[in-house]
Amino acid sequence: MLVQVDNLGLSIGKVPILKGVRLTMDKGEIYGLLGPNGAGKSTTLSVLTGLRRADSGTVRVLGLDPATQARELRRSIGVLAEDSGFYGWMSAAAYLRFMANLYGIEPSPETLAQQFALVGLEGAEGKAIANFSRGMKQRLGLARALLNDPQLLILDEPTNGLDPRGRRDIHDLLIRLSVEREVGILLCTHLLDDVDRLCTRVGIIGEGSTLIEGNIAELLGTRPGAGLYRLRLGRRIEGMVDSLPQGVKLLAQEGDWVHLYLPSSLISSEVWRTLLDAGWDIVEIHGESGGLEALYLELTEKEGVA
Amino acid sequence: MNPILLIARKESGEVLGSGRGLGWLTLLAAVLSVLSLLLVSDTELSLLDNAQVVYIVMGTITALGGLLAVVLGSDAWAGERERGSLIPLLLTPVEITDIVLGKMGAQGIAWGSAYLVALPYLWAVGSSGQNLAQAVLYLGLFGTPLVLGFGFYALGLSVRLGSVRAALLASLTTLLLAASPLLLGPSLRQSAVGKIFDAVNPFSAVLNTFDSVVVDSQPFTLQLGRLAVVVAWLVVAAWFGRASARSVKL
Repeated sequence: MLVQVDNLGLSIGKVPILKGVRLTMDKGEIYGLLGPNGAGKSTTLSVLTGLRRADSGTVRVLGLDPATQARELRRSIGVLAEDSGFYGWMSAAAYLRFMANLYGIEPSPETLAQQFALVGLEGAEGKAIANFSRGMKQRLGLARALLNDPQLLILDEPTNGLDPRGRRDIHDLLIRLSVEREVGILLCTHLLDDVDRLCTRVGIIGEGSTLIEGNIAELLGTRPGAGLYRLRLGRRIEGMVDSLPQGVKLLAQEGDWVHLYLPSSLISSEVWRTLLDAGWDIVEIHGESGGLEALYLELTEKEGVA
Repeated sequence: MNPILLIARKESGEVLGSGRGLGWLTLLAAVLSVLSLLLVSDTELSLLDNAQVVYIVMGTITALGGLLAVVLGSDAWAGERERGSLIPLLLTPVEITDIVLGKMGAQGIAWGSAYLVALPYLWAVGSSGQNLAQAVLYLGLFGTPLVLGFGFYALGLSVRLGSVRAALLASLTTLLLAASPLLLGPSLRQSAVGKIFDAVNPFSAVLNTFDSVVVDSQPFTLQLGRLAVVVAWLVVAAWFGRASARSVKL
């Protein structure tokens, strides 16, 4: 287990900030930590990285206790904190070299060039960080987090300030790191689109405690309306029922709209591909369960934290 | 490289390579230029004894060094915290104490730079007299622990308070209090309270030493008590700064 947090509690002064956070993630997994502003996401991350000590509960990151083994832990993790700052007077290359040196690493110019290429900052090595855009700083922060070849990446709002292409690049990079290097990625974000695209598991925090945690497909599969989809077709299809993949049921048809049921054993994207191949002219697809967004809103509203 | 040295080097780069740090050194040079020009060219001031002129410049350099140390020390931790660059530093495998010590090392480099900037001015006003060598020596020997002490104290406050404004206010108030005997006048300084204050105040110890050595040509042996006061101040301030690593505010 890469991260194991159980019943985490922490107060700042006399104000309880965390009151029972739980979180488990495995090697190579991309885990989405969701929650409204002030829910305790960043405080949870500060406990995981050893910046704050928990008052109660158990915390293990890479098998280490961040409160007492922070130095050892930080050698094996990479962190991109929200709104993390840089030394504007330094060049990007000098900054990365300085940070690498603090890990006891002396990077060669080639290594640095690879690091810049990895995050899409080729050609920016010699530029002063003060002249970087917000998106470039996010990329530089990611390069900094990857300097020590970490087993676990903790990213707080990593796509903040990035344009759609930049977000897509970062998504692709994170997926590559997870698949090729088996890096575990703990993604703290309020962008459900990031979670939808990247994460296999999710934890939703509200008012300092975990409201729900688990595999996204399983969580959504237990919701009312799970497996129910509404499709709008561009033209009428002959032999519609015969072209349905095994297990998929046609529930109703109203004008251009078709209502289908997909059992949880089927992957929806594969079903749509099969239908397209069979000549279905699909114009729109609506999941009746509302997806992750509906689950998130329902949970956080129930807790009065949205 | 040792992380303390790495951080000290980075901090020094900020002092010597960034606009902010160079601005402070330029300001120091500008103030000393105006003062030296006045002392040399003003009709009344130019009548002062050369030793008196050297003493005034030494005192001014020390006071400006103290001011520079207080400003840099207040910003060194809380400023990084406010600019967001402290968290990435704290997330490296470097001990907080080492980060604080690195920043203390940078205070030494900043004062060294200010000292080098000030030397030509000391030479400009003192080269025609007999006390230039003593002035250079005693400014280094007594000025260094005083200025570094204020820098370490301001850094400690910066770590403990976590706010540049609060740390600057507290450390500037202390600096002004320490320098207040200069404003009190001779009669108040001769009172019992004034004498005690003078005896334990490192700022007074340094200025009285400059006066004794440069103006009155007294020997080093008579300055040992004052040196002890200044070194004690440095040790206490260094302990305060280092111990503040245990009280980090995030």
